[in-house]
Amino acid sequence: MKDHSVDHTINLEHEQEQEQDSLHRILVPDVRDLPLTPPSAIESNFVSYFAPDFTKPGHDQYVYRHANGLCVIGLARTHVAFKDTSGITAVDFNVGKSDRSGIKVTGKRKKNAQHFESNSALCKVNTDDASYIVRCCVKGSLLEVNDRLIKQPGLLNSLADREGYIAIIMPKPADWLKVKGSLLGLEEYKKLREC
Amino acid sequence: MANANTNNTEAEHVSIDSEAAHVISAVEECHDDDDVGALHDVVQGLPSHAVKDLLSVGVCTRCILRLFGIRGNIYSISAISPSILNSVIGEQRHGEDISSNSKESEFEEVLCALCLGILQFTYCDDKEIPVKKESANDMAVAISELVKREGYQIDSFSLEVSVPPIILENEHSVRLYMKRKYGTEPWFQGGPFSQSISAKDALKFSLAKPLETLLDCKSGISNFRIGLTFSHKASKVVQSVAVSKQGCKRIKTGNSIDSLDDSVAGDIKCSDLADATVERSFDGLQDNESSECFKFPLQKVNDACHLVLLCQRTPIYFGGRYLKYSRNVSQTRWIIDDERMGEASVEEIIGSNIQPLCQGDNYKFHAAGREDIDVRMLGSGRPFLVEVQNAHRIPSEAFVREIETNINNLENKLVGVKNLKVVGIEGWTMMREGEAEKQKQYAALVWISRPLEDVDLDSISSLKDMQILQGTPIRVLHRRSPLQREKIIHWMKIERIGGSSQYFLLHLCTQAGTYIKEFVHGDLGRTHPSIGSILGCRAEILQLDVTDVKMDCFLTE
Repeated sequence: MKDHSVDHTINLEHEQEQEQDSLHRILVPDVRDLPLTPPSAIESNFVSYFAPDFTKPGHDQYVYRHANGLCVIGLARTHVAFKDTSGITAVDFNVGKSDRSGIKVTGKRKKNAQHFESNSALCKVNTDDASYIVRCCVKGSLLEVNDRLIKQPGLLNSLADREGYIAIIMPKPADWLKVKGSLLGLEEYKKLREC
Repeated sequence: MANANTNNTEAEHVSIDSEAAHVISAVEECHDDDDVGALHDVVQGLPSHAVKDLLSVGVCTRCILRLFGIRGNIYSISAISPSILNSVIGEQRHGEDISSNSKESEFEEVLCALCLGILQFTYCDDKEIPVKKESANDMAVAISELVKREGYQIDSFSLEVSVPPIILENEHSVRLYMKRKYGTEPWFQGGPFSQSISAKDALKFSLAKPLETLLDCKSGISNFRIGLTFSHKASKVVQSVAVSKQGCKRIKTGNSIDSLDDSVAGDIKCSDLADATVERSFDGLQDNESSECFKFPLQKVNDACHLVLLCQRTPIYFGGRYLKYSRNVSQTRWIIDDERMGEASVEEIIGSNIQPLCQGDNYKFHAAGREDIDVRMLGSGRPFLVEVQNAHRIPSEAFVREIETNINNLENKLVGVKNLKVVGIEGWTMMREGEAEKQKQYAALVWISRPLEDVDLDSISSLKDMQILQGTPIRVLHRRSPLQREKIIHWMKIERIGGSSQYFLLHLCTQAGTYIKEFVHGDLGRTHPSIGSILGCRAEILQLDVTDVKMDCFLTE
């Protein structure tokens, strides 16, 4: 006599295998469709703007703006601080009236976030020879500063445009529109700095 | 002590104890001829002078019966009328036959001072037109016609009645009056009013059986509710003249609700309280003879109550699992500045295929978690619930299977559905239960900035239950709290892609709530560790697919 329960189990397993196979087929991409170098997360999700010579010659900063309105602020590659041979050795967020790394912003409504003007100081970056003030560039609420820079200032030397970002600011839509005109797009910036 | 039973034709003072009243009222399955007879028997058991007294102060027949705690089908008997009542009583008082007949027509016209005409099936409809139904059956016919007109397909119904609070106040006044006047009589000792039936229940007794016949289904607990809401613009003028045989006199007039507070013993409050509150205060009241004051005689009622008839089905739920094959379909309807994001939504595709077939008013979509618009949902699918409001029809099992097939056979193949079926309210708890603990499995297409090496496959596979710290991703930081979230990556596996040295498939299983994209590219260092930090290079994610939502609900049986 045939054991039907065994048959049933085998059928079920077979079905599951088939499902797995067809799933796998959808998962694997066609290599021919893949670009050699894909766009980075920043390129895909942000629009890059630049503020050359911000308040001082050579103080080039970037503003990456996300579709949701948030702005990531940082030092552009052409910033004068990188010309010092020692590179950046320290970052200090205690500038202006308060230590920017001490502010705790909480909740969806971003309570306690401090409002800053575009020329407010965010931090000071030091090399062996000099120190440079980094500013907001955009008027808005300061949501966070990159406090990893305190322990790892070297991030600025190698990865200023990514892991070495300085801060995240949330401007009001009207304030963004006002400042946007004074910023350069990526192509304009490249032309200006011939890089 | 005299006892009462249905066939006893004893006159005058009969003591009714509550159990006997119950026996009297066990009138099952009445037919017309028996109706009058049964009514006759019931009325015979009541103290006729008290009944006449109640009639004279403007209380209708059904209210009299319910005050005495009579239960059962007697309320649907169409033959009930003051004239019948009077004739029965008239038999006991031979000399008053003629005068009782002449009062007949008078009583037919007047709205009951106690129930405001509700138990006389008299009301104003939603167009403010006064309606008087001759019997419970006629009123039931009006209700059943509404149900049929609105196209409800039902296999049961529940009747819900809401009456104006003034009725409870009136009842209390009547009972106090009766106690004052007849409290010393033998029949009163048995506490005849302790088993009184509320106006709501009496109306339900009247309508239930005729409706069961007309709608061809049983009344009771049901997902289909027939709601009768009575409201009355009763004037709040308080006229209380208490004149009783005990000689307690208190006259107080006032135009506001507040003034009554001073004069009332205990906690009667004549205001727009919910029935429950009013009932509570009445229950607790002690009959304090010397200090009370209440509305008696009852105010004459000139306007009938306004009746709103509402049929409603409680929400029904469809449960199942959905698959999303497209990278351009959002889970729920997503509109920004009048423009739709993506070409469709899972919510609308599924909901629009279910709601019309139930003829519901609208639907709500609930899912156990969600995925981004550009992420596919594959494998066994994600559990979801579609809640349909006020469905007029409930599809059969076969019909539900057809809905599933329809969705799966849609030309554009954007969404699929599995195991669709009607579920009860437990579907809700099944979905929410453990939503935060359940693990999810993914397949990500990853690119790294250097060629993949064999050692990489091992360094990734060897990491089990690895804890990561994720700051709120920048892409959602505008609407979520800035927090550091600890998440667990249970396991990972790299699958090489033939023909490429820098692309690979990353299979991983993580704790619910983990942001996968950020785990791959690191979100500017705000998620740590990340694939990039583990492999010591830059990593980018091109595509993401959910391959398994590890939950027990709505699985194939």
